[in-house]
Parts: sequence; C-alpha cells; structure tokens
Amino acid sequence: MMNILSKKLAIPALAFALLSLGSCSKWLDLKPQEGVVAEDYWQTKEQVRAAVNGLYISLITSSLTQELFMHGEIRTDMVDISTFAPQPYTEYRFADMLSTNSFSNWGTFYRIINYCNNVIDNAPGVKELDPTFTQADLDAYVGEALAIRAWMYLNLARIWGDVPIKLTYTASDEDLVAIAKSPQSNVLDAVVADLIRAEPMVRETFGSTAADKGKITRYTVNALLADTYLWQDEFQKAADACDEIIDAEIFELVSGDASTWLSELFGQGNSIEGIFELQYDRQQLNPFYALFRQNAIYTAGQNVYEVLFQFDAADPENFDVRGDRGALSTATNMIYKYHGLNRTQTKSLEESYTHWMVYRYADVLLMKAEALNGLNRGQEALDLIYTIRERGNAMQGTDLNPGADDQQGITTFIVEERAREFAYEGKRWFDVLRNARRNNYERIDLITGMIVSYAPADRQQSMLGKYRDVNSHYLPIYYIEMQRSGGVLEQNPFYGN
Amino acid sequence: MRQLTYSFSLLLFWICCVGQTAVAQHIVRGKVIDATSKQPLAGVTVSELSADNRTVAATTTDIEGNYALAVTTALNRLNFSFISYNAQVVRINSRNQINMELRTSDSQIEEVVITGVGGAQPNTGLLNISARDLTTATATINASVLQDMQSSSIDEALQGRLPGVDIAANSGDPGSGMSIRIRGTSSLSGSAEPLIVVDGMPYETEVPGDFNFGAADEDAYAQLLNVAPADIETISVLKDAAATAMWGSRGSNGVLLITTKRGTMSKPRVGYSFRGALSTVPSAIPLLSGDQYSSLIPEMYMNRTGLPLNTLTNKEFQYDPGDVYYYNNYSQNTDWIAAINQTGLSNDHTFSIQGGGEKARYYSSVAYLGQRGVTVGSGLNRISARLNLDYDISERIKFRTDIAYTHTVTDRNYVNSKDDQDNIRGAAYIKMPNMSLYEYDPYGNLMPVYFSPDRNIQGAYPGTYNPAAMAEYAYNKHMGERITPTFNLRYELIKGVLFSDFSVMFDMNNTRVNNFLPQLATGRPYTETVVNRAGESDRDDFRIQTKSNLIYTPNLGDKMKHDLQMLFSWQTDDFRGLSYESMISNTASILLTDPSNPGRTQNAELSLKGGEGQSRSIGAVFSTQYKFLDRYIVNVGIRGDGNSRFGANYRYGYFPSISTRWRVSGERFMENLPFIDELSFRASYGHSGKAPRYDYLFYSNIVSYDQTYLDEAGTVPANMAYKNLKFERVKGANVGLNLEMWKRRFRLDMEFYRNRTTDMLFDNLGVPNTSGFESIWLNYGVMDNQGWELNLNATPYRTKDLMVDFAFNIARNLNVVREVPEFFVNEAGTGTNNGDYKRYLRINNPIGSFYGYRYEGVYSTLDETIAKDVNGQAIYGPDGEPVYMRFNYPYTDYVFQPGDAKYADINHDGSIDERDIVYLGNSNPKFTGGFGPSITIKNSLRINLFFNFRLGYEAINDALMNTTKMTNYDNQSTAVLRRWRKEGDVTDMPRALMGMGYNWLGSDRYVQDASFLRFRSATVSYTFNRGSVIDRLGMSNLRMYVTGENFYTWTRYLGQDPEVNMEKGIFGVARDKSRTPPTMRFTFGLSTSF
Repeated sequence: MMNILSKKLAIPALAFALLSLGSCSKWLDLKPQEGVVAEDYWQTKEQVRAAVNGLYISLITSSLTQELFMHGEIRTDMVDISTFAPQPYTEYRFADMLSTNSFSNWGTFYRIINYCNNVIDNAPGVKELDPTFTQADLDAYVGEALAIRAWMYLNLARIWGDVPIKLTYTASDEDLVAIAKSPQSNVLDAVVADLIRAEPMVRETFGSTAADKGKITRYTVNALLADTYLWQDEFQKAADACDEIIDAEIFELVSGDASTWLSELFGQGNSIEGIFELQYDRQQLNPFYALFRQNAIYTAGQNVYEVLFQFDAADPENFDVRGDRGALSTATNMIYKYHGLNRTQTKSLEESYTHWMVYRYADVLLMKAEALNGLNRGQEALDLIYTIRERGNAMQGTDLNPGADDQQGITTFIVEERAREFAYEGKRWFDVLRNARRNNYERIDLITGMIVSYAPADRQQSMLGKYRDVNSHYLPIYYIEMQRSGGVLEQNPFYGN
Repeated sequence: MRQLTYSFSLLLFWICCVGQTAVAQHIVRGKVIDATSKQPLAGVTVSELSADNRTVAATTTDIEGNYALAVTTALNRLNFSFISYNAQVVRINSRNQINMELRTSDSQIEEVVITGVGGAQPNTGLLNISARDLTTATATINASVLQDMQSSSIDEALQGRLPGVDIAANSGDPGSGMSIRIRGTSSLSGSAEPLIVVDGMPYETEVPGDFNFGAADEDAYAQLLNVAPADIETISVLKDAAATAMWGSRGSNGVLLITTKRGTMSKPRVGYSFRGALSTVPSAIPLLSGDQYSSLIPEMYMNRTGLPLNTLTNKEFQYDPGDVYYYNNYSQNTDWIAAINQTGLSNDHTFSIQGGGEKARYYSSVAYLGQRGVTVGSGLNRISARLNLDYDISERIKFRTDIAYTHTVTDRNYVNSKDDQDNIRGAAYIKMPNMSLYEYDPYGNLMPVYFSPDRNIQGAYPGTYNPAAMAEYAYNKHMGERITPTFNLRYELIKGVLFSDFSVMFDMNNTRVNNFLPQLATGRPYTETVVNRAGESDRDDFRIQTKSNLIYTPNLGDKMKHDLQMLFSWQTDDFRGLSYESMISNTASILLTDPSNPGRTQNAELSLKGGEGQSRSIGAVFSTQYKFLDRYIVNVGIRGDGNSRFGANYRYGYFPSISTRWRVSGERFMENLPFIDELSFRASYGHSGKAPRYDYLFYSNIVSYDQTYLDEAGTVPANMAYKNLKFERVKGANVGLNLEMWKRRFRLDMEFYRNRTTDMLFDNLGVPNTSGFESIWLNYGVMDNQGWELNLNATPYRTKDLMVDFAFNIARNLNVVREVPEFFVNEAGTGTNNGDYKRYLRINNPIGSFYGYRYEGVYSTLDETIAKDVNGQAIYGPDGEPVYMRFNYPYTDYVFQPGDAKYADINHDGSIDERDIVYLGNSNPKFTGGFGPSITIKNSLRINLFFNFRLGYEAINDALMNTTKMTNYDNQSTAVLRRWRKEGDVTDMPRALMGMGYNWLGSDRYVQDASFLRFRSATVSYTFNRGSVIDRLGMSNLRMYVTGENFYTWTRYLGQDPEVNMEKGIFGVARDKSRTPPTMRFTFGLSTSF
C-alpha cells in the first residue's frame, strides 16, 4: 500500500516544487511595515506637511547651529578657545586650516539642501492626488523649502565661496553625479532666485506666535533677501527688502530694560523682535550647554568686555545690557547668551533650549543701515544705528561718532555695533568679511585689525600673512570630498594641491 | 507558496501515520521467558512487523511474561525485544500461540568510537558523500578530537586547529562572541561570519541589522552559536566555493557544518562532564601613580600655554591640606585597574543520557554554564537542553525530532554613549590616579560611597566616570531564550533508488536587554537624564525554514563502476523580527531599575521605539555526483536563489558549481607504491553570493523623526533607493591534494585557492556630500582573496602502549583589490593628524600596508631643531639666521621646539610633511598556523600540547601611542617618566604638550614586528580504563584532565598581545589597542558515564 501511495505522492511533490517557483515573486515582495517607502509617500497634503516639518527638524537635530557658530565666530576676536578644544579647533582658529580638517566638511548643509530638494520636486505632484490640497498650501510648503535651501546656499557661499549647486533631489543611486563648483556670485544669484520665487508663495502668518517665529514667513524671506543683497552689494534692493519688514509694522525691538532684555529675547524666546528662531525644546536641547559651560570649548574673547562693550567705572548702574550677563559673563569669562535665563539666573542642562536666532528685527535695522550707508545715505544709517545703541544702552566710549558723509567711518561703526548687538549669534566673521570685501577688499583692514587684536604674538605675523591672501577667507574643500568628486572639484588655491 | 510547502509536508506526515488503518485478523498469544533461568520476563516488547520492518501493532508482556497481540496479517513477523537481551524475530505463519525464550546479550554494546581517519561523513544536509569521495575543500574535526578540547564554545574548540580557519575572541568578557573567518574575508560589507548549519538546517547566528541593543556593539553580543560543545559529534568546514555554492547566497563566507550526537542502540547510558576554570588578568602596562600624574599635567599645560595651571580653579591639582575636601579626594594614588579586576571563574556541567532500541533512539542532554568574568560586573549563566529523537516507523519511513533550548543570562558592563562600548577597562586606564576611589567628606572622613564627582578636569559623564562605581552599580543584562525544534521525515519512495527528506525548523529567539545607569556612577545632578537611566529592549525573532530533498541514486549495475547520486532540494526561509526599546531616566531610586517605573522621557535619547522587519528567501538546488571506477569523480550543481532584500530587477541569483576528484592511488600504475593509501587531486570552481544585511534597501525609506518641531512630527528620507543593489558574488577556484600513507599514519591535505569577489557590496561607500548623502550601498569592484593551506597529521610512533601524534597546519591568505568604484577614495588617513597612518589603495597589490614618518627621537636642544641639508649641514637663511625645522610648511607651519618629536626629513627641505612619509609595514601575516604533539601512554594518559604562530607582519601599537601621547588629561604609562623636560635632556620620549604639537604622528615609533609563537595550551588527561577502580564505582568510563592556556608567547613585539587582527575594509591595518595580555586560564575537568 505504501508503495503505491509513495509513487502517487512523488509526482505531486515534484509538481508542487516546480509550480511554486511561479508564485515566488509575490512571496518575496516585502515592504516595510513601519515607515513608508517613497513610492507610497507623497499621496496626501498631510504627508507634504510632515515632510516640510521634517526640514525644520533637520535644522535642529543636525550639527547645523554648532557649525554656524563655529564658522561665524571661531576666526574672530569674540571668542577664545580653551585647552579642552581638540586640535582641529586650534588649527581653524589660528589659520592653520587644512583640507584635512574635518570642519571643512560641508555635508550638513548639502544634506539639508537635499531634503529641501525632495519637497520642491515631489510636493507639486501631490496636488493631483489629493483634491483637498489647495494651491495656496502647496505654494506655502514649496516656498518654505525654497527659503531654507536658499539659506543653506547663502551659508555655503560665505563659508566656502565657490561651491557646487545642486537643485534636484537625489532619489536613488541612479541620480548620483559629481558636480563642479560654481563661482560665489552665481551661488548668490541662485539664492536670490530661490528667494524671489519663494517670496509670494510663503505665508505671512501661521496663526500662532511660535510658528510665526519658528517657521519661514514672508518676513524671513525678506530678511534673507536683504542679507544676500548686501553680499551682492545691491544696496537699494537690500534696503527695499528691509523696508518690506519694517513697513509691515508687526515687529519691534524688545525693551532694553536690563531685567528683561535677555529673558525676553533669548531666555523665553519668540519675542516681538524675533523673525526666525530655530525652536529648540525640551525634546531637542541646543548644543551650547556643553560647548560653553561644561568644560567649555569656547570662552568669551579677552577684549570683548573691556574694549568692545566697555563699562562705566563711575556708575555700575550704567552698563550695556548686551554685555556682562547679556552676551557673556565676565566673572567666569563664559559665553552667557544661550544658557542665561536672565541677568541673575542661568538655565540647567535640561532647560538648555534657548532658540538659535537666525534673524531678528535689530538685524533688519542694521542691515538697512548698512544698505543706506552703501547708498551714501549716511544720516539715515546713523539714525538706525543709534536706535539700536539706545535700546542696548551702549557705552559712550564705544560711540565712534562718524560724520554723516564718512562712509568708511559708518561702515566701521556698523560692524562694531553688529558685534555688540549680535555677539555670539554666529554673525561676526560674516559681518567683517562682507564689509571688508566690498570694492575689491577696500576694507581688508577690518580683518587684519581683528586678527591683530587676538592673534598670539608668536603667530601674529604668519596669521596676518595668510589673511592677506583673500582666498584664505574661505574654507578649503574637505579632502575626502575632493577625492570622491573624481577630479571634478577644484581646491581653493590657497590650500594648494 | 509557503502554505503549500507546509501543507504538503503535513499531508505527508498524516498519510504516513494514519494511512494504514486495517482490520485486525487474528490474535496471537504466548509467553516469554529467560532462556537460561527460565523465569518469565515482564515488559518485553512484542511487535508485529510488516515486510518493510514497520511496526504495525505492539504490546508488552505482563508480570507472568504473557502477551496477546491482535495481528493484521499472518504474513507479518513478530519481534520480541527487551533491553539487555538479543531481539528475536519470527514469522507468524498463521500460528496462534508463539512462546519465546530470550537470551541475554553476551557483551554490552561497545561505545561507538569514531576513529577520525578518512571515513567520517560530514552531514551536509544535502547529498551524503563520504569524506573520501569529496570533491571540495572540506575539513572535519570529529568527536574524538573534540573530546580533547575542553572549551566553553565551539569557536574556542576550533581555534587554531584547522588551516584557513581563523578564530579570535571579540573580548575576554563572558558571553562576548568570537569572530570566525574562513579563509579571511572576501567581502567588505556586513558580517564575514560563516553560515552555520546544524544537523542539516541553517542556524542563524547573525544579529539582524536593525536591532539596537541599547547602543551595544553587536560584535560583542552574546554567543548566538550556543550549541553545547559536549553535544557535538563532528564539525566540518566547507571552504571552497563549489562546496558553499550549495548554500547559495548565504555561503559566501564559508559554511560550518555541525552534527550533534544522536542516540545509538544501547541500554541507557548516563554521561556527566564537568569543567571548572580559573582565569586571571596578567598585569598590564604600568601606569603613573597619582603623584607622578599630578606633576605631568601642570607641566603639559604649561608647555602649551606658557602659563602655570591655575590650581585655584582646577583644585584637582591644588594639593592644599587646608582645602580638606579636595585635598583628600585628589591626593590619592589609586590603582583603577585593580579596582575593577577580579578572578574569573567558570563552571560547566553537562548531563546526558542516550540509548535506544531498533525502532527508537534518543540522545538528551542538559548543560549548565556559569561564568564570572575578569572585570567586576561581567558574567554569564547558561542552561541548555537538547533532545534528539530518532524513530524508525519502518525501514522506509523514519522521522527525527530535534529540540534544542537555550536560556542565557549575560551580565555585561554598562554601554556608555561615548564610544558605544562597555569599555570600563578603557575608562580605568585613563582615569586620573590622584582621584580617590571612595569619597571623603569635607571633614576628611572616608565615606562608604564611591567618589563620583559631577565633573572634574577630565570632563563629565560620559567622557569620564568612576569605573569602579560603574562596574558595580550599573548593569546591562542580556537575557536570551532560544528554542529550535526541528522535524524531519525521511521516506524512501522507491526502495534504494529514490529518497525524499523533508525538514522544517522553527527558530524562536527572544532577547531582552535590560540596563541601568545609576547616579552613583555618573555623579551628575538629578536634573539630568544620565541619572538613574533605565532602558529595556526586547526582540522577538521567529523563523521558519523548510527543506525538501529528493535524492535519486539509480542502480547502474556494478556499484564499483558507476555510482550516481542526484539531488533536488527546495528550501524556504521566512524570518520576522519584532523589537521595541524604551528608555527612561531619573527613576526615584537606584533600586527602581526598570522602565516600567515612573520616570522622565524627555529628550531624543529617552524614547520608546519599535521596529519590525521581515525577510524571505527561497533556494532551489540541483546537484549531482558521479563516480566512475572509484577513481574519477565529478560533481555538478546549480543553485537558484531568490531574496526579498532586492528589488525586482535583481531579486534572483544563480550560483553554479563544478568540482572533480581524481584518485590517483586507485590507478594501476600506483600499485607499485603500496605504502600510499590515498592520493587524490581535486579541482573545483563555484559561485556563491551574499545579500545585504538590511531589509528594504531598494526602497527610499521615509522615516519619522524622533523629535518634533513646534510639537509637530516630521519625516525625512532615510536613504536613497538602491535600485541597483544585487547579490555580491564570490567566484571561487580551488585545487587541492589529499595524501595518506603508511596505513593512514601520515595524512597531508593541501589547498590553493582564489576567491574572486565581483559586484562587491559596499555598505558604506562614500559619495560626494553634495548628493545630500554621505555614503551609500553599491555593488561595484572586484577583490581577490587568495592563498594556500597545508594540513598535516602524522602518527610517527605507534605501539600498544605509546602513541605519538603530531598535527601541523599552516596557511597564507591575502586580499588583493582589483577594481574599485569611481567615487572610491584611494587613500585613507592623513599625514598631518596625530595618530593617523596613511594607507594607499594600490590596485593589484595586497591590502594592509601602511605609511608614516620615521621617528628619530627627540630634539634635545634648540640647535638640533635647525634644519639640515643633504650633507647634514645646518641651513641658514639669507639673513644669516638659522632655519628651524617646521611642520607642513607653508600650510600648518608649526616650528619644532626642543623636546618635540623628531621625524626624519627624508627630502631635506626643512619641513616635515606628507613628502616625508615612507612605507612602514604590512599587516598581512606571511604565515599563520598551529602545531602540536599529542602523546598517549597505555591508552589512558594523554598529553596534548598546542602552539600557534603568525609570522612576518607588522602591527601598530595603539596602546603604546595612547599611553605615551601626553596630549590630554588621560593617565599615561610610566614610560612617560623619561620624557623630555628641559633643554639638553636626551631621551626618546617627547615633552608633554596639551592638545597641540605633532608629537604622536603616525610613525615607526609605534610599528613593531608582531610575529609570534605562542604556547597556546597544554592538556594532561587520564582515562581510567575498564577493569580499574571505576568498575567498583559503577562507571563505564572516567576521564579527568587539566588544561592550561596562554602560558607563554615568544615574540619581539612590545605590546601586550601580538595577535592583532586586521581591521575590516580596504584600508584595514592591524592596530593593537589592547592594554592587557590575554587572560591566563587553568581548567580542571572530568567526564564520566554510567
């Protein structure tokens, strides 16, 4: 009996095995059960919203602000670095930057750019699939992505100078290409083009204060435009962009009252002065507590308090609110802005989520002053500077008192006032560089003067020598990036090879 | 499809078991008595056997020896069987009364002794081919050899015994795995571990890619290969691609076949074996005492800044008895290493019982392993059980059930977020020695708590912590449960010609990791999340594998002339893994260590995460082996594989293989050389493949951020879609030789091979950052893994009382890159960063070379730092001033100072830069291997010695670098006491310089020849032979032994352990971070059976 059975079975057994080959493909077709794959994404407006929100999260979860701080401050007299700083910091600060220094890696910026490209490329398709998705909403989302992308390119242009421009999303391994550098001016043009495109698209308000400060609004776009125009020396356009914000009349300077200035502007954040602040929160702390407080890598520069802010030896009640216990703590030489709650209290590590200030109203006023000065409207520029100075109660000794027709004097004054107003907000180096490079580096003294003020005696000459080569004002391309480009990228000539 | 396979298998079972209900026809009665004593025998099994020996009906005799059995047909036979009696089979022949006398079996069934010479048959789970007919490169170790290796795991047993099989421990801590490499690595990505096949079914030992062990390094994850060594019958290693091709996309790293013991026909035999071991950490590199450290740090600081260290703010170095708290807590001479050391202990007990009759046989074992590691807080407890059952329903239907269960609890040290390692020993090495182990209160009283300040000059947690507090109070417990039931049915479809074999294996593997970080260890304030942080992760894996084999062995007449076997095998694998992870902090007390307690869940690191993954694969194998005249053997096979980890374009892969063997010794012309028992030449060629470790890579996965922005969630593309991902393919060619002479007293195996990996899978290939990604997965490039192996076994002397065996193996293995992708960076490392060695990719040259500066000591005086020209004359500038040596002029332009390290200025340009970099060494050993004699005296005393060696390679002594670099607040070795301190000091140790300078550039100062010969182990064992004292104890066998390991190493290498493995990847070199030599271990063991 078994014999017959077995023969009967042998044939179906083989048949099963062969037949099942056909159904394998289906059996092997698996998709992740958690998360979504790109093919199934981009179906609804909620997904677009989540992707755009992901852009903001990428700004605060990456090392972006840490890098912006470094690139904006480490080459300036505003900071000192402590012995806790590893060697790459020393090399960067003392002009020993090499292409092997990992701080010359631009990966963070391009990663965020790619996320923006994702939204810009894929969001418009959703409108066809989701009838409830309005054109206005779509525009607003794409506009936000455009503005963030523009901001990243503005950063790249002022840190590395000439950089590759990539405006399409890398969706798969088939989209990989090595891209050559574009000149800095082209990058700035691309930034302006994105911003001009974004300006009519983005929202004026999101309906809540936090979102209006934490996300890209039309005013953020205007502020970015003003900033970029200043880098292009397009003074009229810059002034106009500033006016867009000023004339909206929804921003004003917070009070210069010493007891509230820091807490309103930074301790609490989202003040009436804020235009775009990256919203760290309890879930995502900012990186500065460790950098400035626990075995601080950065400390306040030696001359910041006594020379830049100055003090009134006769009247201790008369002080610049932005100085001691505003930007820095003179007692410990600590950078104070990001972990001070107010003049007397500091935040604990767990509360260390002071926002990163990208633009605030004071910045707009001073950018306008810079634009007006460029247009030879000196008196108007001075008025704006004094508005800022009065709010901050700047010390008399820091008033350079230039004449209304003294364009160079006003430039120096603006740069110094910006150092006081935006101390440790990642702007100092860019302010100095932007003003120094105008008219074929007419004001290179702004850079060399600053170098002299902080360079150690034994390095002063070599640092000056390097900074006199204007190519040294931009970082090298990270050596690994050079090698991966397969010869398409050209190194900044200052760094050889 | 899966359902089809299962239901098909079930159907078959059902038919076999139930399909034979028939009406009883008549009843047979009778009485069974003992043939000599004529006493009735109770409990004798009386069974009716069909023509093919299948039991149709059965009963047992009562206390009077009577039985009655309703038989189905008078044509069948009756079988009378009873333990210790010879079974009797008689024909029924329509009798109604059958009485029987049974005789006791004269001799007890002898234990099966496997001789280990040539005849062993590796169970491949596919075609059954005896070892002498194998056409592929295979090495086998069998039970008799394994018996001499008293090891807690298989990997340890194999270490150094097989040529081309390289096994190294991940770390000395209990439960940390070992890495097994068969013929080096042929792949740059993912795991290089071989496929393990236990009793014919693949046994997963790889950690699924998506599992996060609470930030543990997965290499050190608890032993997944937890088959108790006492259960192992044989281990075979399939080395060449023709052999591994049968396992297709999983076999590219080689295959390890393990056969476990099965019951044999005998009365029940109870076995017990014990193993106890004691291990200690030998003394490590001597470190600075607190006082020496306290004079080093301020000097290091002053050399950097020119200013003295401010001891008012850095009270750690104040040494002011007036400041009682700081004075007491920071004026000690603490030996941090001693604080975390303990003597390691291990005890291992295995009970087994085996036996069976004609129809059913069993092997069952229960083992317990308890280990305490050499670092406080580490240990392992393991209970494993195995039941192997064989039941022969008839001669044609047989089934097997194997059930293995393992319960493991591993205690590890806490894994900190600094380096993702449980590196307490590393933390102890760099901990400031002037700090107190226990805290003093501000009145100078010693408190009974560890001193864990929230921060000090060395930093704060996780950069630094009190290692003793961490070892004692923090914990990291891994609990694993794994059960693998396997069901197998063999059915002979056509007697002697067509066999079928169906197996299904379920694998349930659950892991739970529980960890806790107490405030006592971190010292941080209670507001922070690194205080009383409790984490738990759990992973449940479920895997079903099936294998259906059809084996066809046609009768082609004369078996000696033609011998043909054909196999068709169909295999499926369905895996699903679920995991979740939760972590909270600030539980109310250090006693509340579970995340189920109330706690905080605030920043990104404290989270609740889940994950789920699934993968499937199928394989169809066709293989055939033909032997002609016992001399010419050829094997041809092809395997098709489908894998769910690839996109539709590249989902299937085909892996062909061909291999041959020519037995020269069988030829006529060899008859004149009668002393040659076996001489064969083999040649093989085959493909095998490899799939990536992660699922769903061919999709661009959109994932949600853990964080929110303005309380709103967001998504991000985690990867680009890897549409072109396909099987990495290893094309292996192997030629080999087997020689056996002088009655198999001399055996030699030789293999030459080249495995060419094409479509090399890069899992981390750097791409231009402008793409928005830093690295991608890509198949590209060609790499060769080539070498040779030689294995020699000899019995030079053999008499009745004395036998001397000698084993020797030697191998060489090289990796050569032939082609790389376009974005591939062809060099690694820089010449300008301290500690970095330059490595270049040279196509067609072996990998593993490194380049650096030549170290020439220390600049003693300012004059010495003047640059010299080719003739050794000082160089002066146009202004008559001397030109001083500079580093990397004009970019870095650091001027060397007296006391700085002096590097050779190869091109005499006055600047030390990348142009002065020279070749320093290669990390590929010229030869690796092992040898050792074993001497057996009077069949009872056995002495076994084993040595292993590696010759001709250079290693970078990172431990030396890290303990003498004097660049931060880490403690250093006592070698730095001879550092340069003032102008004119002549020494080889540069000055201390905090975070600056170029004193520890990658140079030949840290490169040493790491060739070594190690006295790996010595075992003395004594076996009590029958007839001695053990008979009186009722034992049938007793063996006792003592093993010592790691006695001595002959080497010129100055580091702690010259056995340094190359790091992974094209730029991997041998870097030795070990600051402690391998643990010395003594083991006592016994094994017995009743």
